[in-house]
Amino acid sequence: LRLRLGKPETGKESVERIERRVELAAPPSEVWDAVTEELSEWFGAVADLRPRPGARATFRWPDGRERQAVVEAAEPERLLAFRWLPFERLPSGATVMVGPGRVELTLAPSGRSTVLTVTEWAAVPAPLAGGAGR
Amino acid sequence: MTEDRSAEVFAALADPTRRQLLDHLSRRGPASATELAESLPISRQAVSKHLALLEEAGLVAGDRSGRKRRFRLTPGPMSEAVSWMAGIGAEWDNRLEALRRHLRRR
Repeated sequence: LRLRLGKPETGKESVERIERRVELAAPPSEVWDAVTEELSEWFGAVADLRPRPGARATFRWPDGRERQAVVEAAEPERLLAFRWLPFERLPSGATVMVGPGRVELTLAPSGRSTVLTVTEWAAVPAPLAGGAGR
Repeated sequence: MTEDRSAEVFAALADPTRRQLLDHLSRRGPASATELAESLPISRQAVSKHLALLEEAGLVAGDRSGRKRRFRLTPGPMSEAVSWMAGIGAEWDNRLEALRRHLRRR
C-alpha cells in the first residue's frame, strides 16, 4: 500500500481543528499512564501505542474498524502527539483511504490535578468541505 | 442564519448522542433510524427522538424510500464541515468522560 501524504487530488478537502480541555483529578504521572499504557481502557478502541517517536500504533474499534497512527512526539507527563495514517480497514477487511489527521495531548499540572488539552486536526472530506452537498 | 435558528442548532449539537448520530451520518452516509440504532449503542426510540430534533434544527433531512425514511446530513444552517468536526468533538467528549471514569477507578 503506497501512502500519499501530499495534497489530495480534489484539492477541496480542508483540514479543520477541534480542541477540548479538561481538568482531571489525578497527577500528570497518572494521566500519562492513562493516555499511553491504559489507552484501551477509555479510548473506545483497543490501542497498541508505544510512546516513542516513530512508533507505529494500531487502534481496533469494537465494530472491527482498524486505523493506524505514527507517534510523532512523546515527552512523559507533558506531550503525546500522533498522526493518523490516511487509510482505514473496514470490518469487511477492505482498506479505504480516509483523510489524514493528527492528535495532540498536552498535560499540565494544576495543583494536585492535571489539565489535559486534546487537539485533533482532521480532514473534512471534499464533498462536505466543498459545500456542494452530496 | 437568524439568532433563533443558531440557538436551535447549538442546542441540537449540545447533546453527545446527537453529535454521534451526525458523525455516523457524515462518515457512513444516509441511514434509517433502524440502521442507526443497530450500529450505535442507542435505542430505536431514542434515535427517532434525536433525529426529530436534528431535523427541526435543519441539520438532517429524512427522504422517504419505500416504508422507511433515510436520514442524511443537509447543507443546513451550519456548514457541513462544522457538523463533521462537531462529530469528532463528540467522540472526544465521550472519550474524555470515559477517561475521567477510568482515573476514578484507579
